[in-house]
Amino acid sequence: GQEFQFGPCRVEGIVLQELWEAFWDMKDVVQAQDNITNVRLLRKEVLQNVSEAESCYLIHSLLKFYLNTIFKNYREKAVKFRILRSFSTLANNFVVIMSKLQPSQENEMFPISENARRRFLLFQREFKQLDREVALTKAFGEMDILLTWMETFYQ
Amino acid sequence: DGVAVLPAPQNISVQSTNMKHVLTWSPVMVPEEIVYYSVEYQGEYESLYMSHIWIPSNWCSPTTGLECDITDDITATVPYNLRVRATLGSQTSAWSTLKHPFNRNSTTLIPPGMEVTKDGFHLVIKLEDLGPQFEFFVAYWRREPGAKEHVKVVRPGGIPMHLETMEPGATYCVKARTFVKAIGRYSAFSQAECVKVQGESLPL
Amino acid sequence: HIPEDTSDLLQYVKFQSSNFENILTWDSRPDSSPDTIYSVQYKTYGEREWLAKEGCQRITRKSCNLTLETGNLTELYYARVTAIDPGGRSATKMTDRFSSLQHTIIKPPDVTCIPKVRSIQMIVHPIYTPIRAGNGHQLTLEDIFQDLFYRIELHINDTYQMHLGGKQREFEFIGLTPDTEFLGTIVIFVPTWSKESAPYMCRVKTLPDRTWT
Repeated sequence: GQEFQFGPCRVEGIVLQELWEAFWDMKDVVQAQDNITNVRLLRKEVLQNVSEAESCYLIHSLLKFYLNTIFKNYREKAVKFRILRSFSTLANNFVVIMSKLQPSQENEMFPISENARRRFLLFQREFKQLDREVALTKAFGEMDILLTWMETFYQ
Repeated sequence: DGVAVLPAPQNISVQSTNMKHVLTWSPVMVPEEIVYYSVEYQGEYESLYMSHIWIPSNWCSPTTGLECDITDDITATVPYNLRVRATLGSQTSAWSTLKHPFNRNSTTLIPPGMEVTKDGFHLVIKLEDLGPQFEFFVAYWRREPGAKEHVKVVRPGGIPMHLETMEPGATYCVKARTFVKAIGRYSAFSQAECVKVQGESLPL
Repeated sequence: HIPEDTSDLLQYVKFQSSNFENILTWDSRPDSSPDTIYSVQYKTYGEREWLAKEGCQRITRKSCNLTLETGNLTELYYARVTAIDPGGRSATKMTDRFSSLQHTIIKPPDVTCIPKVRSIQMIVHPIYTPIRAGNGHQLTLEDIFQDLFYRIELHINDTYQMHLGGKQREFEFIGLTPDTEFLGTIVIFVPTWSKESAPYMCRVKTLPDRTWT
């Protein structure tokens, strides 16, 4: 079967099409709430040209932020927009991925993990510059950008 | 919420076969009345990050039946908590929660049903249609000493499909098993089925 | 001040995309004036400016080809249309956020079916898209979708099928009966993006076997 290969971190048991279909079920509703079209949180500087070695650190940071901050605080909206099922599918599959990511903590990997951290901080800083609710809506609506990037590590 | 005078449903359990998951429970008996049941679920995320959150099942909120197909609700390979309650008019029972969380990787995978036929020299197989989550590994061989086993991946099931062009007079055997990508597991192989082809068998 | 209702001027502003040919289309209600003129702008999501699309300013038709302007696969886009009717009433409507990778539909493949005596060969031709790589090289669908594969079916007297499939472009069904008609269907699959093209169909007849005549 297919699996994610984020550098040394291997993640099986995820059917990427299921995640896409969950996102597509809610895409128009969610993205229609975001009318700030001149700000993109997951910009090219965050996700482009990420080395394999960096990818495990970056996906770990991003998913952790999405689970701890974005999903957690977007729930009322998910109920309001009646997208709780898609919300749950994505959240629980992200939990599976997170549980299988073991980014190496060895010293020699520090420069690489530091690179990944800088990328993540770019994203987080952009997030914090926006109004809280606006940022949550925008980040939740940008999950297709995240899934598109993840797809490049799906083999 | 209505006052909880109605007894809660008992004997809650999940039967899961070939990735079809059914929650069942015992009836709440109220003579000459129709009792409704509601099913809710929460995945690992909900129980970890927002444990007060439960999601109504797609098909059974409410239902008068004593079972609920929760297949469409279980959309990740994580433990799911499930609960059921009864409702009669304004009366509502307490929730009954499944004792152990259910994970779809515990589903029972049984070998696929298959029909092996021939059309002239063509060996044809039709596999049971089990839905988009299933791939089929079909092994087939010519029944003779030292025969080499060939394997084909077939997807989806439900369509009669040519497997091999056979040699006259030979006997060919076929067996199949399923693979479910979402849980990374195979079923056992089915019983082998063999067919013999008319005509003189060619010298080896 | 009650804003004037101009919803009749503009409806269904959206992208229609197939094989990465991205066309912006819109409509208006039947009761709107045929002399209404439309102007199109587009923008990259995350950037500030709206850019006017040359060739789609003050037009009366209801479509505009934005393929070149929306050709970067890592970007997402918006487009918007402004309609002005002869009475000076105007309305502007924007599309949903558009990603050609997600939205494009795959057209049926282009295939040559070659019948022989006991086999049928099928050659799938490469499908070029308007997308260009950094070096200007025109990309095919296979270049863009790493898990793209072809699924070939040969229908045998309506009772069963022969299947072939894979990433290669040449396939051959063997062991067929001479002088017999078969229906072949060829579909493009891109599993990760849940994309499936409509089938290309060819009806072919194997050649008569003249070896003993």
